[in-house]
Amino acid sequence: MSPDSISALRLSLQVAVAATALNALVGIPIAYLLARRRFWGKSAVDLLVTLPLILPPTVVGYYLIVLLGRRGVLGAPLYELTGWTVAFTWYAAVIAATVMALPLLVRTVRAAIESVDRDLERAAYTLGRSELRTALEVTLPLARNGILAGLVLAFARALGEFGATLMLAGNIPGRTATVPLSIYTAVQTGESGEALGLVAVLTLLSCLVLVAANQLGPRTV
Amino acid sequence: MSRLEIGVRKSWPGFTLDVEWQAGDGVAVLFGPSGSGKTLTLQCLAGLVRPDAGRIVVDGQVLFDAAAAIDVPPQRRRVGYVFQGYALFPHLTVRQNVGFGLRDRARAERRRRVADVLGRLSLETHADRYPRELSGGQRQRVALGRALATDPALLLLDEPLSALDLPLRQALRDELRTILAGWGMLAVLVTHDLTEAYRLGDRIVVYEEGRVIQAAPRSELLWQPSSGNVARIMGLRNLLQGVVLKATPERIQFRWRGQTLEAVNSPTHSYLPAPESPLGFFIRPEYVRLIRKDRDRVDSAHHMNLMSGTIVHEVDFGATWTLHFRLDEPGSPAQGEYDLEVEVPRLVYEILEIDRDRHWRFSLHRGSIHVLPSA
Repeated sequence: MSPDSISALRLSLQVAVAATALNALVGIPIAYLLARRRFWGKSAVDLLVTLPLILPPTVVGYYLIVLLGRRGVLGAPLYELTGWTVAFTWYAAVIAATVMALPLLVRTVRAAIESVDRDLERAAYTLGRSELRTALEVTLPLARNGILAGLVLAFARALGEFGATLMLAGNIPGRTATVPLSIYTAVQTGESGEALGLVAVLTLLSCLVLVAANQLGPRTV
Repeated sequence: MSRLEIGVRKSWPGFTLDVEWQAGDGVAVLFGPSGSGKTLTLQCLAGLVRPDAGRIVVDGQVLFDAAAAIDVPPQRRRVGYVFQGYALFPHLTVRQNVGFGLRDRARAERRRRVADVLGRLSLETHADRYPRELSGGQRQRVALGRALATDPALLLLDEPLSALDLPLRQALRDELRTILAGWGMLAVLVTHDLTEAYRLGDRIVVYEEGRVIQAAPRSELLWQPSSGNVARIMGLRNLLQGVVLKATPERIQFRWRGQTLEAVNSPTHSYLPAPESPLGFFIRPEYVRLIRKDRDRVDSAHHMNLMSGTIVHEVDFGATWTLHFRLDEPGSPAQGEYDLEVEVPRLVYEILEIDRDRHWRFSLHRGSIHVLPSA
């Protein structure tokens, strides 16, 4: 494998791990709120989080540029303040992967939380636990397998993300060219050996992820 | 003195809970059909459901008062809750379940308290098991122990026996009674089983469709249901309708199926219906007295409310026989095929040879006819 392929592989893993971590941080609280709370704008949040599942990745990427690009809604003030922009950095790849993976995580985790008996939470409340402590000590531990399954799916989705990443992060070898982008480049430039190697690695990784997800199965506790 | 006062109202689409009752020491039972608002009342008491209006006071502490904008959160109400199905934490051991409410106590005290509760409920040998490894009875005790460990001011139990099979249920009913008496705390228990209500309750609150239709000490409820509705919900038999002849504070005379009957006027709800007004009453099947043909001389001093009839149907319940009598009086019977249900012990059935002799005279003491105030 060429040095470019190895750096693409390293970058892809780095991006997928970071995106999965962000998913856990952002997605699990969103899933909890959607499963357990009633609040104003709940269906809008639900829609917004689910949308990347339905929209073409390039459309999601386009929105991300509008939002975060150098002249974007958030990107412009950030650029003026710091002279730095997220576009075309590896952070952009992480953000694109995070947004694209979020629906899978949120939907899986939400279903797992909804399957936890509410009387268990009520019992914890009468025994003095706050809602936050109840979520941490009762609800989330009991939804553990669903959460792990959601994280595995999010990781797999982040690893394979192409369209939105291309839009926001570009395809800069060594900086933002993840494995799927490198495969595209390799095929375009006729380096079929390079492409085959990366395809094999990505296929193998995906298989491993699937096996891991199946191992988790339904909660047995 | 009432230690618990609740008067709350809450509306949902299609259902309104609007109840008010008090309870003193001991166990108050909320009794009524499913969907009558009993569990919702417990959830209001625990602070898990917020009423639209009303007030809840336990031992002088106001837990909820809509007018004064007081709503103590469930975490600080000092209420122990035994859920229907127990709601034990499946990922925690028995010891961790029982100790769950003691997190802010010092470690040594927590350990001592958990050991004490496990000991009192005979759960020491199961302390390190998980709920799924326990029998139904053990789960019930863990749920009870978890609620009692925090030393609550009020204990709530939602159908604590309904998850168990019948034989176990009867044994545990008496065990629960002993435990509640031993702890001597204020408790509210929900059930739709009348026997359970009587065995466990000092005071019984009867629910129907989100309202309280009677709240009374156990003995009073048994003999003086406040209305035909209460009697029906309690599953009382021989619930009948007569016409008043004459009413005094002591006695009520009335006509029913061509008979003139006399009943003791209800000692607590003594009331005087006008002659010719309708009168609801019930007769407990086990209090009808069959008259022995060989021995008893019929005399009106001994045998009040004398009637005669034929057995049209009978059911063998093992320890007792249930007989359906049709009066000799012509006309259509009061309860479909028959007028009166009578229950006799098996021994009496055999001694009197009821299987061969189908026509009997019987009498009813005036104290065994229970008059229902009109609703």
